[in-house]
Amino acid sequence: MSALRLVSNRTSQQALSNSDYTWDYEYYEYGPVSFEGLKAHKYSIVIGFWVGLAVFVIFMFFVLTLLTKTGAPHQDNAELSEKRFRMNSFVADFGRSLESERVFSHQMVEESQSLFHFCINEVDHMNKEKESQKGPSLESNTHFQEVPKSSGTFEEDLHCLTKFNIPNFVNTEQNSSLGEDDLLISEPPIIL
Amino acid sequence: MSTERPSDLIKHLGQTSIPSLENISDFSLNVTDCTQVVVPEEVFFTVAAAGILENLLILIAVVKNKNLHLPMYFFICSLAISDMLGSLYKTLENIFIILCKMGYLKRHGDFEKKLDDAMDSMFILSLLGSIFSLLAIAADRYITIFYALRYHNIMTLRRALAILAIIWAFCAGSSVAIALFSYEAATVIPFTILFPLMMFFILCLYVHMFLLARSHAKKIASLPSSTVHHRTNMKGAITLTIFLGVFLCCWAPFVLHILLARFCPHNPYCACYMSIFHVNGTLIMCNAIINPMIFAFRSPELRSTFKKMFYCSRSNCSW
Repeated sequence: MSALRLVSNRTSQQALSNSDYTWDYEYYEYGPVSFEGLKAHKYSIVIGFWVGLAVFVIFMFFVLTLLTKTGAPHQDNAELSEKRFRMNSFVADFGRSLESERVFSHQMVEESQSLFHFCINEVDHMNKEKESQKGPSLESNTHFQEVPKSSGTFEEDLHCLTKFNIPNFVNTEQNSSLGEDDLLISEPPIIL
Repeated sequence: MSTERPSDLIKHLGQTSIPSLENISDFSLNVTDCTQVVVPEEVFFTVAAAGILENLLILIAVVKNKNLHLPMYFFICSLAISDMLGSLYKTLENIFIILCKMGYLKRHGDFEKKLDDAMDSMFILSLLGSIFSLLAIAADRYITIFYALRYHNIMTLRRALAILAIIWAFCAGSSVAIALFSYEAATVIPFTILFPLMMFFILCLYVHMFLLARSHAKKIASLPSSTVHHRTNMKGAITLTIFLGVFLCCWAPFVLHILLARFCPHNPYCACYMSIFHVNGTLIMCNAIINPMIFAFRSPELRSTFKKMFYCSRSNCSW
């Protein structure tokens, strides 16, 4: 790296005024650096750096897992059921739009199913519990049920919400009575 | 020769190909010196070639499949390009060292020096491109989650391409400037401050998204605290830790090396750290291999594109 070579160039020119050849073959001039009388191990910076990095990464991981364990503080039952209803109606619209519009290729539908299974399957459980949803929404939900259920990951959440932005879905949803807040959580997430 | 600035090439040449001459000097060296830790050339070439191939595959897949012409995949492509540049730099450097060994290139020629400067700026371009691409990916995901319905209006294809053009123009200008003015103290400090700053910003974005995903999961759950969600959020924590941990572990050693080279080149402890420079370079190339796995290959669409590419090449099916 040029930064390194020019730094070493200057210092070596100051220190080694008479020797011409040595630092031509050496990356760093070891002449002025004396290794005698070291109090700590000579690789102490290397060891300290890597240990510090590992500790930091593990600390970050524990902080994130702690975040998963602390619950959301404002979780009213009424608000929760209202959110569930809105999710149900959104799913109903989503299912109807999937059934009606033949624009989507089969691959797109399958991919959307696999990406939405985390959202939809949970709602489907609520549908079955409430026994209130009939018609095309149930058909679409049972269609989604064919996708093997696996626990959603953070990545799948991201892909899930990315797929909301397919143009046809967006237009359909904006025509419905749902607002943006109904899809996102209206209250701000917890900031520690 | 003492007044002339030796090129980086010569130094690499000296210490990778002629290890026996390393300790030749007028000064008597202590036997407990930290000698340069040399990574074999075969390892270099293998790692670099793997990085280049993998990222090239991603570029080809995104170009071929029309479904992947989305801003999200363009940012992933930008990351792939910057990783490819980093690996390319190492490969070219090794090739030139071998050519010098064989005598095809002069050691002190002007051409070699200019080539060396160009390669240094390519490496800095790769580093800056990586950082900004990761930032762009994080910002894109942030907008996806927090402005979901308006995402399509906020992040159009044109805007994404404009953002990428601005990022790469800035990186190219900065890399040329850093390569030209590398002797100034001022260049090293902003370079090393940029790195933790970007890391911290990306961490904040992802933590905010993670909190929303967690509260979202809790709200649509029928049970308030089921083991499914605990596992879900644990996976989210693992994913996030992997994102940032890999970036930190691959780039931070090199950034620390630059800092130490600037501020304490004569300290024996610093000199011992700087002796593992080639290991740090190999780590950067490993980052080029790992990045596609944690960003690109997680997308099901991209994976299915790869499968089609490999199977269709055998059976000639239509794209």
